[in-house]
Amino acid sequence: MSSSLGKPLTEEKNPRGIPKAPFIEDVEKYLGGPDAEVEEPLKNFQDAIAKYRYMDSNLAQRRVGLEEKIPDIKKTLSMVEFLRDRREGKTSTEDDDDLDIDEDGAEGSQSKPLKTTFELNDTLFAEAELEDTDTVYLWLGANVMLSYKIPAAIELLKSKLEGAEATLASVIEDLEFLREQLTMMEVNMARVYNWDVKRRKENRLKAEAAGKSAEG
Amino acid sequence: MRMLEQEQENDDSTEVTWEDQQRINTFSKLNTRIKSIETQLEVLKQEKEALDDLSMELELADEDEPVLYKVGEAFLHLPLPRALKRLEKDQAKIESRFSSLTVSAEEIEREMKLLKVTLYGKFGSSINLDE
Repeated sequence: MSSSLGKPLTEEKNPRGIPKAPFIEDVEKYLGGPDAEVEEPLKNFQDAIAKYRYMDSNLAQRRVGLEEKIPDIKKTLSMVEFLRDRREGKTSTEDDDDLDIDEDGAEGSQSKPLKTTFELNDTLFAEAELEDTDTVYLWLGANVMLSYKIPAAIELLKSKLEGAEATLASVIEDLEFLREQLTMMEVNMARVYNWDVKRRKENRLKAEAAGKSAEG
Repeated sequence: MRMLEQEQENDDSTEVTWEDQQRINTFSKLNTRIKSIETQLEVLKQEKEALDDLSMELELADEDEPVLYKVGEAFLHLPLPRALKRLEKDQAKIESRFSSLTVSAEEIEREMKLLKVTLYGKFGSSINLDE
């Protein structure tokens, strides 16, 4: 056991390389005997907790970022899917859904462009008419926008969405893992601390008893 | 977990075993998980209410007036029947997410209750599992 002294983290790691916290079965054994120092191990625990906390806050930030990104992708996807459905609705009338629309716009719907109101800036909206289209432009970031055919755009967005959701799931898994390690470290701290308090008290009582018997 | 009180210092009976540690871990994990589910449910509830309000409004809407329906960031001018169809779909989507989250929240709560019983049973007042 003494080899683990000063090494509060174990070699074991989770899939993303976060080290596992050790579990202390027997405090006395872990510290290396009834007269062992507690300052050093306690300090090591504290350092390890600080490291876990640091990872925790980093991952929490990533989580927030992903949780913002996912709805954005979903919004774009639902718009592109709307465009696809609208287009398909015009070429095939097998669906009742689409019959509805055709009835509605009786003659006009084939050629009538879709009217939209979109946000130009905060609180400022403008109207635009969408011509029937099979191409959309996706903002890829880094000041790049590419044109895609609608099915390709949907595929791309879906794969992005899946990727983001998978990353989010693994970030959440890591966060939960970190939470467990933090809890373990806190329990370890409390136990070593309590062990020390108890030892001091016992020693004091022993000393008092020895003093009394020496007096008597 | 807090430090022991003075009078409990001599209490040797509460040796923490690996199983206990795992239970404590699971409890704290579930605790974080349920909090995130609760926030998600709160958001969903608001969305659901907004859609319910919307469906009330649309019942009173004029058949000939196009409805401004929000898809993504833009509002589409849709004929009423089409808007109602979309609304129905959106409502169904939210409803199913809402109920699946509620189910997992209930499961977690049940598990936490069991863990609480076991852990309080063993550690009594030396452990604090409540807010």
